[in-house]
Amino acid sequence: MRKLILGVIGALPVVSFFLAIICIIYPAETLAMDQHSWNNQEKAILRSLWLGSLGPLPVDPSNKYSDNPKAAALGRKFFFEDHFSGNQKVSCATCHREDYFFTDNLPLSHGMDTTPRRSMPLMGVAYNSWFFWDGRTDSLWAQALGPIESKLEHGISRTMSAYIISKYYRKEYENLFGPLPEFMEDAFPQHARPALDDPEALKAWVLMTPEQREEVNKVYVNMGKSIAAFVRTIVPQPSPFDRYVEQIVAGETITSRMALTDDEARGLRLFIGKAKCTNCHNGPMFTNSDFHNLGLPQKEKGEPDMGRAAAITGVLRSEFNCLSKYSDAHPNDCLELRFIDTSDKKYVGAFKTPTLRSVTERPPYMHAGQFATLREVLEFYRSQADNPELGHKGLTDKELDQLEAFLHTLSSPVSSLQAEVK
Amino acid sequence: MKRILLIVGILFFLLAGCAAKEEQTTGWYEEFKKQQQMKEMEAEHGQMEAGQMQETAAEHGHMEAGQMEESAAEHGHGEVKVTKHFDESLTKLTDNNLYSLELVVPDKHLKMGVNTVEIIVHHATGGDVAQAELTVTPWMPSMDHGVMQKPVVTERGGGLYSVDNVVLSMTGHWQLQVKVAKDDKEDTAVFDFPEVKAMGHEHAMMHAPPPEDLDFSTMKMTATDAFHVTYQSIGGQIRINRIHSWELTIKDAAGEPINDATVTVVGDMPEHGHGLPTEPKVSTMGVGGFYRIDGMKFTMPGWWVVTISIMANGVHDSVSFNLNIL
Repeated sequence: MRKLILGVIGALPVVSFFLAIICIIYPAETLAMDQHSWNNQEKAILRSLWLGSLGPLPVDPSNKYSDNPKAAALGRKFFFEDHFSGNQKVSCATCHREDYFFTDNLPLSHGMDTTPRRSMPLMGVAYNSWFFWDGRTDSLWAQALGPIESKLEHGISRTMSAYIISKYYRKEYENLFGPLPEFMEDAFPQHARPALDDPEALKAWVLMTPEQREEVNKVYVNMGKSIAAFVRTIVPQPSPFDRYVEQIVAGETITSRMALTDDEARGLRLFIGKAKCTNCHNGPMFTNSDFHNLGLPQKEKGEPDMGRAAAITGVLRSEFNCLSKYSDAHPNDCLELRFIDTSDKKYVGAFKTPTLRSVTERPPYMHAGQFATLREVLEFYRSQADNPELGHKGLTDKELDQLEAFLHTLSSPVSSLQAEVK
Repeated sequence: MKRILLIVGILFFLLAGCAAKEEQTTGWYEEFKKQQQMKEMEAEHGQMEAGQMQETAAEHGHMEAGQMEESAAEHGHGEVKVTKHFDESLTKLTDNNLYSLELVVPDKHLKMGVNTVEIIVHHATGGDVAQAELTVTPWMPSMDHGVMQKPVVTERGGGLYSVDNVVLSMTGHWQLQVKVAKDDKEDTAVFDFPEVKAMGHEHAMMHAPPPEDLDFSTMKMTATDAFHVTYQSIGGQIRINRIHSWELTIKDAAGEPINDATVTVVGDMPEHGHGLPTEPKVSTMGVGGFYRIDGMKFTMPGWWVVTISIMANGVHDSVSFNLNIL
């Protein structure tokens, strides 16, 4: 027994000697690899953020044309069509610029006039549960219809839209959706819509026969469904971050080959760990598609923006929601609407988590363009130490640098359905 | 020889340690006894105080009665007073001064989720009110709506009524409307709770890390062992940001399936202080104690607590499941 103990004690110096040798031989490689070695839990998180985990476009049960290429092609034309506006100069692409990740570079977007919020980037938008900053529609096609009748955006009406379609897009429309009535001026008012902010248009709308209103709504809805079929095709391409995840999963160990630098990898480690960014920016689109109040500065003048709280009743009552007669969905498929959280007090001043893909390429930031640079955003988050949902406190300046460096690795081109080559 | 000495030495140390511990134990026990005695003395003292309090309350009631002399006279009653048994309770006279209600709520605060409260009903002129019909309605005045779930009232005797399944679906301003009906006489009082908070979300709780030995089992007994509950996510592993459904199995303590329970689901993130992003709905399958919860969704990774409250066979009990969402 004593011999055994003595034996073990005697072996200790020998073992430590070999350990020391190993440490002398390998230190450089081991230390450098530290930033790129991830445990299984971390690897699982990296995989969950990887674009490859995104999966095919989710089925939109409320839009049976959503994966119809013809509808997408027509929707693409609608998307860039200036005629759908009060001054014939505004299209969807005005605020969702193809050369700017389908958003614009203004703090507050400008259509016919300046809107109260910033335009949302459209890449991967089809993966959302709710649309607009406040989620006031539950489908992409209903979303597409909102700006058309907004005075500040396109500033026209559904009757005008039907008229334009019947005049310029008759053949393509009829190919897809069947016979299209004439929406001539003498039979249909040019500017009629069921809206309280425009008494003249409302009056004109009410004076139409129910059949006429139904005809107009049908065309208007099909217009939205076509635009949605196109907007669905706007998706991000793999970024350096995605290539990095592939390397990690494949077991790549040579530092110089890594798609991320040491600092970028440190930023990623903070992103999924200490900085708790994945609380909300999770999944391959880096968003949970949920609504949060970050305590952002309110604008100086006017009513405070209530965000999600003001949108809940609206989406439940919307004439174009998933449970409406214009939806193609079986009521059971309208999951988000059926189980919508109606506790509006919880959502006062709450806005949707936006995607972070290509975030560094498209300033300004936040729902009303409150910050011009990403650094300001990170500084703001750090300042909100008391907000339990954020919890980014205790980050050093250097760590903010690393986070910012990591966010740059999320940049990638956007692909979308291109116009047919003739 | 040395080894024997060593062993003896170790034994001696152990013995000494035990002796010291025993000494400590004795000390602790005596301390406890002392505390008990102190408490008893305090309680006696407290009773005296309570007696005084009751008088004061009665006086107060008298004053109020003075102000409301007309209505009291109309009803042909004597002095109208508020009766109060517990320091930590809320009292109210019903609108027409028929009854004095005492509402006992843990910590005087209702919380988001499922609550149980006690109500003691007295005649405003004194005396317990037994065999009254109590209707309790949670109400949100700002939203002008109540809740789907009906509170369940059980009479305990001596004017005491237990109210189970008081479900408050969100935080904010709530009221409890209490209607007392007996012998064709009906009267109502409204208790006001201006700020109902989420469960356990005192600020100090936030940022609390999850306990290290968190129990993630999907099969549990309810808090007071009334029911045996199992849950299973339909469609395999729960994925973040996906609306999905759960299958729930509820059995009584003897293992018999329960098919007619009233089930309420509240999801909660103890580290962040917010609930589920959806309002799940529960439906019974009618056989085998199976229930389906539709509309479950988790939008943040980390520690979630899903509390399932069950009301069946006149028993109200609940169980909390821990989940780690990735």
